[in-house]
Amino acid sequence: MPTVLQNIFRFVLLVLFQVLVLNNIQFLGYINPYLYIFFILALPVQLPRWFLLILAFTLGLTIDAFSNTMGMHAFATVFVAFFREGIIKLFTNIEEGNNPTPSFHTFGVSAYVKYVVLMVIIHHTILFILEAFSFYNFWIMLAKILLSSMVTILLILGIQSIKTK
Amino acid sequence: MKNLINFFIQYSVIFLFLFLEIISFTLIVKNQGYQKSVFLSSSNSVVSGMYEWSNSVVEFFKLRAANDNLSEENTALKNQIINLQNKLSTLKPETTDSVHFRIPPDMEYQFISAKVINCSTNKIQNYITLNKGAIDGIKTDMGVISDEGVVGIIKTVSNRFSVVIPVLNPKIEISCKFKRSNYTGGLLWSGEDYRYANLTDIARHVELALGDTIITSSFTNSFPEGIPVGTIEDFKIKESDAYYKIKVKLAVNFRTLSHVKVINYLNFKEQKDLEVKSEE
Repeated sequence: MPTVLQNIFRFVLLVLFQVLVLNNIQFLGYINPYLYIFFILALPVQLPRWFLLILAFTLGLTIDAFSNTMGMHAFATVFVAFFREGIIKLFTNIEEGNNPTPSFHTFGVSAYVKYVVLMVIIHHTILFILEAFSFYNFWIMLAKILLSSMVTILLILGIQSIKTK
Repeated sequence: MKNLINFFIQYSVIFLFLFLEIISFTLIVKNQGYQKSVFLSSSNSVVSGMYEWSNSVVEFFKLRAANDNLSEENTALKNQIINLQNKLSTLKPETTDSVHFRIPPDMEYQFISAKVINCSTNKIQNYITLNKGAIDGIKTDMGVISDEGVVGIIKTVSNRFSVVIPVLNPKIEISCKFKRSNYTGGLLWSGEDYRYANLTDIARHVELALGDTIITSSFTNSFPEGIPVGTIEDFKIKESDAYYKIKVKLAVNFRTLSHVKVINYLNFKEQKDLEVKSEE
């Protein structure tokens, strides 16, 4: 039960932080971190996939409502949620019956870093491609993807390393 | 039959995935046009209510600069009033003709002041949310300006809020001209920097100088003529090009935008109707 409460709390906190603080950040004109994806990354490993997809869709749509981007965040978040299980299996071997929450402790440092990097880059790439949908400026888009992903990854790893246990 | 049901159960997650992605994608595509998607956009009352709250905190820190601007504008307006009163006293109206009432050309525009409660500058397609809506008389396609210059055009309106497409969005192109020479061109944002935009369609025989002022032309129904847009920061032309590449420094600083005016062009409907009718 505490996990459920913890996740609800995390959902609200991340959405608020994203729309009120991070969406206003504009460092060098390229960096706009999307930390809210941390919610999807931090859900328990054995969560039913259909429920994960629904959660991802809700999260994406909430962010969309606040940033006037109709569907873009929903699309990217659902996409990354769908491939989460595969990516986790790729880097770790969790035994049947175990249900850990992803962290340095449960995955091991190297596997967790790989997991975060891959997930964030997939999410940001899809998001920025969708954003540029009706407008092309390839190099700017690439710079935005790389720089923003980097900041998001650092933020997530930072938060995770501060957490004790 | 049993196989079919098993098939669906086995792949239910994939179906759900595809279903959700299709919904999202439909939303994206639908929103490309000028859709009135007030539901789930930042003119939605829950979302905008929260932005209003967050803005009330942030606004406190911008008060000083806003006050300075306001007092400057106040004095300019007062001077104008005095000038106009002087002129008025020398011109006595002969008769008031209520039958032939029409809006004289210099009173065609009314201003509705509004506050910016959400504004993005770092996306490729940026939007601004205002705290006034249909109740205050705001309609779509009205122009929005600040004390410094052109901001954008109203896109969607709900009862109490409205969303503006600012200059910083490649979806709009604002017709502008040089203050000096009256040549007109379209202002288009390049998607890179919120301080600069590009001016297109200026032929190579036009004489330019750095720092030339660019103002709105009278060809748009949303803006009166002569609202400042920006100044020329840089221009280039290759031997083979017919048109200049002009970089314009925008007059408005979108990062510090807090109070704007929405322009209500009183003859908008009449002009539009006439134009539509003559095209038929």
